Amino acid sequence: MTECLTKTGKKVLTKGNYAIANAAVLAGCECYFGYPITPQSEIGEFMSGKMQELKRAYVSAESELAAINMVIGACSTGAKAMTSSSSCAVALMQEALSYAATDELPIVLVSVMRGGPGLGNIYPSQGDYNQATIGGGNGDYKLIVLAPATVQECVDLTYKAFYLAHKYKNPTVLLADGLLGQMMEPVEFGEYPYPEVDNSGWALTGAKNRPARVIRSYAPSADERCEFLNKLYAKYKLIEDNETEWEEINTENADIILVSFGSPARNAKSAMKECRKLGLKVGLLRPITLFPFPSKRIAELANIAKKFISVEINMGQMIRDIKLAVNGKCPVELLNRPVGNPPSVDEIVERVKKESGVL
Amino acid sequence: MENNFIIAGFGGQGVLLAGEVLANAFMLDDKNVTWYPSYGAEMRGGTVNCEIVMNDIEDVSSVNKAETDYIIALNQASFDRFLKKIKKGGWMIANSTLVKELKPRADINYIFAPVSALADKLGNVKMANILSLGVLAKISKLVSVETLEKALDVVIPAHRKHLLPLNIKALKIGYDYDMQIVNI
Repeated sequence: MTECLTKTGKKVLTKGNYAIANAAVLAGCECYFGYPITPQSEIGEFMSGKMQELKRAYVSAESELAAINMVIGACSTGAKAMTSSSSCAVALMQEALSYAATDELPIVLVSVMRGGPGLGNIYPSQGDYNQATIGGGNGDYKLIVLAPATVQECVDLTYKAFYLAHKYKNPTVLLADGLLGQMMEPVEFGEYPYPEVDNSGWALTGAKNRPARVIRSYAPSADERCEFLNKLYAKYKLIEDNETEWEEINTENADIILVSFGSPARNAKSAMKECRKLGLKVGLLRPITLFPFPSKRIAELANIAKKFISVEINMGQMIRDIKLAVNGKCPVELLNRPVGNPPSVDEIVERVKKESGVL
Repeated sequence: MENNFIIAGFGGQGVLLAGEVLANAFMLDDKNVTWYPSYGAEMRGGTVNCEIVMNDIEDVSSVNKAETDYIIALNQASFDRFLKKIKKGGWMIANSTLVKELKPRADINYIFAPVSALADKLGNVKMANILSLGVLAKISKLVSVETLEKALDVVIPAHRKHLLPLNIKALKIGYDYDMQIVNI
């Protein structure tokens, strides 16, 4: 597998996991630290060969805890570094993510969701929407969260994850699911499309000929911490203003708007088109960034639409963000599958028909 | 037009590989294509399947389809499991070396081809998967043997390239197999 991915415009058929790994290499990822877990093990497998071939750093860590803390170490030198994992193992990384957020380190975490809670199973899931967007670490912090829905987006958003992480000095999560990780589609890698970010102003590179620098989260002064957190949240506001991304189809005159991210958004899109053929006024909004969430746009659409339906593979997590954005202007319903493959197109169409009948 | 295919059989019959070859062939024909496996706690000797969705209108295909246009069933368990999933007028391509030649549904087409036996005769029973792609090419007319040959070349890694000629032979035997095509 390692030899056949390419940098050129030529299309190759590849798995989501390999696409993410190869895109990370092309994005200039200098260090990969990881511990295997299904359904994302192909990322580590690919990296174990490719990184050594390119004389970059690859460490098969002794645990997920070690892996994420190695990423913190590497990123504090300004390096492009990443780890990848899945659900119950990303849970182990939560403390480190809080530290990385307050230390403003550009770490990239690929989280390929599987069934939970606890050890759960290896079927696709979106049960870690909250884990990624709210987080399990302590204190006030936010991670940038990008959600691909196709294998090509696994490539494009991996590039973007490295760029945004460094541009904003903020931990960034690529949130995929087991279905996308295992799915093969034709992709083009092209070249890494973003400018390199200058890290020389803050990175720990040795204090020769300059004053020493310290990166730490310990903050004994309450006043200084207040100032810091206000500054941190001003950065999050800037990210919201500049980087919120979503796909929107047929929403302008829609009575019902389906909201879905990741692999179920594919079925929601097909279902929306089916519904349109039946004369039902249905639209689709697919958040691509989960933080920042397209709340403003949903709030605008809530003035026109009569109902939102959140389509998710979990017990209803994103629906909370939709409800916050809609702010009571219209009902928000849930169409979910707890774990496994996304709700089928027919299932979504049936639900829309039912909901249309009672509008 | 959108068409979807399920290839199913025992673990070890090359089900996922056959799907990968087919998906690559569609890509080489400039179609949009999505391949995904049944994914769970699979084991050797258990059943395995993958689905391929070929699309030349939509850029993004839906997944987890309720119905299928074509099924390749390499063993009896797959025949039994996926029979009900075939669309009316769709096709069941069954490996008659391992599958009983029964037609429980009257609203679909059946092809019974002894692909395991034919592959064995060719010298390698493992070629049954590729042989069945030849059968699929013939009846579906959605992909040519030439494109499948190119796809095999893409999928077979460098250290296994010596197996390419035999795979191509298997493809052709499948394509040329004298099928009794009885249209419903």
